[in-house]
Amino acid sequence: MPKMKKELTRQYFDVKDAKFGEKTAFENGVLTIAKEELKEEVSSLMQAVSEIDFEIVRPGENCRIIHLLDTIQPMIKTDGEGQQYSGFFGDPVMAGTGTTNVLNGFTVMESAALPWDESSASSGLLYPRDAIMDMTGPIAGITPFSQTVNLVILYQLTEDKSSVEYDNEIRMIGIKISTYLAGFTKGLEPDSREVFSVDEVNPELPNVVLVWQCQNQGPYSNTYLYGQPIDDMVPTLLHPNDMLDGCVVSGNYVWPAFKVPTYLHVNHPILLELYRKHGKELNFRGVIFCRSHNPSNWHKTRCANIGVKIAQYLDADGLIMAWEGGGNAATDGMLTIQCAEKHGIKASTITFEFGGVDGTEGILLVDDVPEADAICSGGSIEKPYVIPDVERVVGGDTFRLNKESGGFFPPSDKSLRFEQTTHFYLGGNQSGASTLFAEAY
Amino acid sequence: MLKAVYYINQFYAGIGGEAMADVGLSCEEGAKGPAMAAEAQWGEEMKVVRTIICGDNYVNTDTKYEAMLGELRQRILEVQPDVFVAGPAFNAGRYGVACAKVCDYVRRELGIPAVTAMWWENPAIGMYGKDNYIFPTTETAAGMRKSMPPMAKFALKLARKEEIGPARTEGYFRTGHRYNEYHEKTGAERVVEMLLDKLNGRPYTTEVPLRGFEQVAAAPKVTELNEAVVALITTGGLVPVGNPDKLKQAFADNYGKYDISNLDSLDKGVYESIHGGYDTTDASNDPHRLVPLDQMRELEREGVIKSVFPYFYTLCGVGTNVENSKEMGQRIAADLKKSGVTAALLTST
Repeated sequence: MPKMKKELTRQYFDVKDAKFGEKTAFENGVLTIAKEELKEEVSSLMQAVSEIDFEIVRPGENCRIIHLLDTIQPMIKTDGEGQQYSGFFGDPVMAGTGTTNVLNGFTVMESAALPWDESSASSGLLYPRDAIMDMTGPIAGITPFSQTVNLVILYQLTEDKSSVEYDNEIRMIGIKISTYLAGFTKGLEPDSREVFSVDEVNPELPNVVLVWQCQNQGPYSNTYLYGQPIDDMVPTLLHPNDMLDGCVVSGNYVWPAFKVPTYLHVNHPILLELYRKHGKELNFRGVIFCRSHNPSNWHKTRCANIGVKIAQYLDADGLIMAWEGGGNAATDGMLTIQCAEKHGIKASTITFEFGGVDGTEGILLVDDVPEADAICSGGSIEKPYVIPDVERVVGGDTFRLNKESGGFFPPSDKSLRFEQTTHFYLGGNQSGASTLFAEAY
Repeated sequence: MLKAVYYINQFYAGIGGEAMADVGLSCEEGAKGPAMAAEAQWGEEMKVVRTIICGDNYVNTDTKYEAMLGELRQRILEVQPDVFVAGPAFNAGRYGVACAKVCDYVRRELGIPAVTAMWWENPAIGMYGKDNYIFPTTETAAGMRKSMPPMAKFALKLARKEEIGPARTEGYFRTGHRYNEYHEKTGAERVVEMLLDKLNGRPYTTEVPLRGFEQVAAAPKVTELNEAVVALITTGGLVPVGNPDKLKQAFADNYGKYDISNLDSLDKGVYESIHGGYDTTDASNDPHRLVPLDQMRELEREGVIKSVFPYFYTLCGVGTNVENSKEMGQRIAADLKKSGVTAALLTST
């Protein structure tokens, strides 16, 4: 009798469309959303946020979303220990068992112009950079959210609050609204069900772990585990179902291309792919969760070694290294790959690359090690793109760009040329969500 | 009918081997040697209208190459080919360079698409692979029959002016050019697939190429320091004021070697740093920050080391390519060995 039995049933309720109405309801795949109900639901949370409003954005629309912060998967636990996004509204009880209802193909997005003043977390380089996505056109394929129905929460902020207050409140409101909406699936018959369990291990198959390394540099560039920032955390072991139920939540707004929204922690593309192959081609043995941006080589070495030790405990033959963030995080990831390979654990990874306009300028990666010999490309961030005029923009009338050089605020519905993809939401493809990659000629 | 011009060396033209490698440019109408094998792949669609022949040494000697370009240009342009084909050169270094060099010229200067082929370790790939289509071959000419069809088929594609796909579908060596596209699979699917291929011993190709690290073994430990003759080497760019040897401030291709046998210190105003990659103020104010001669003299007097080698070596370590670095390093190491140096102190910035 195994000590751990952890089985999670996800019930998917496909959201075909969403619209605003008098009363919130979910019927025949159409989510009717009453704005006033949502406002009422979160009114007690509003201290640093003065006002919220909502917009619905659908696939195929000639629409742009800007000032994007996080994107959340609306879901609610109907059975089993803990709750969705455990640790935020209650004790951090381990989730990952029982039943969770998921609004499939639907997201809750947060859009706000967080202050750029120098006294806040926005001083220096770790400020919220404008995250941009288009539902159609040349950059639509970069983000999976051009394929989902998105409810965008537009936040107006009160003055003179701290970065931490804005940040926390925006996130709590987002989670609460997503949970409220998911609650309308209770008692309904889902469109499909999927059972997630890694309890069965086939000794004939290779054991594989995912190392998921997330940004942790303070307010606006943070990640939460069961409700708390992952400051100073050493690698720890998560059950994949913990992540499916939302134990990891994003609070990262600094680099739109490199950040990974909560939606993709919850629907982690690599984790789901490992699940698909579990019991067929591999045994998915777990997620080793750690922080990136470890401050010194000493910390990075410790992180890599502890991570690999956990992989060894799990009897891992192979490891997939994936990270959120840019250069600093790449060094953490590469050291982990090196440590794994030196201990006989084979590794592959995915990362964005540089290389300039044609791929031949400079080096492709910030850091690499000779052991990293299986690297998937998440696309080059050094490619110019022209985004087109759009009919509708959700989030604001002007972009907020180039804070370092005094700010640049062009109209957000007009065509604009970007020399890099850093402002495009998920442009670095760090969690493998999109098909974007750099093709070698 | 499409037309190709084909390039081969003296050996494949039947003129002779190494002894005949100095022969100059000549032409034959129609296909000769390997060109005939290429032509066989094209059916009636394309013919080799001219075969150009040149000795490997000739084309690899800069002055001769420059002098022959006019004729090469004329010989090619007068038959107005749709494509230019060279080789395959297999593992022959000079032939490979000749093929790639001529292809590069034809593509760049004459605007005619060009292709060649060779063994993956042929040095020409590193020199010309960035902008030219080079196909893989077997190591030796024994594999001509296997190596020819992919290059020949690609040549026909070039001649037809068809759109050229990526390296992984066309089969040429990656040029280094990379552009964002959408793959048929997500990153997540590919990264899992690649790991499974690796775990199961199946072939896989990293999408981001390796930089080709070379493992350098650490030098053995110095066991008897009091017997050691210690040389001082810096990549911090310290030179006598005025930089008498005109060492480069970046992208070094040579190093300096300066006599310190009669000195107990390296003084400000006598030595300076010319390094182009950092603020040299502190280094020039106190050159010992780069080359600690003062401390070494003390150790010498105390008998901790036997002696300081009478010269220090210097260059600017910034933007220097790996090949130049290796070449300079080997020269310095050889010089040290020859001079009886038993230990070296390398100071960077």
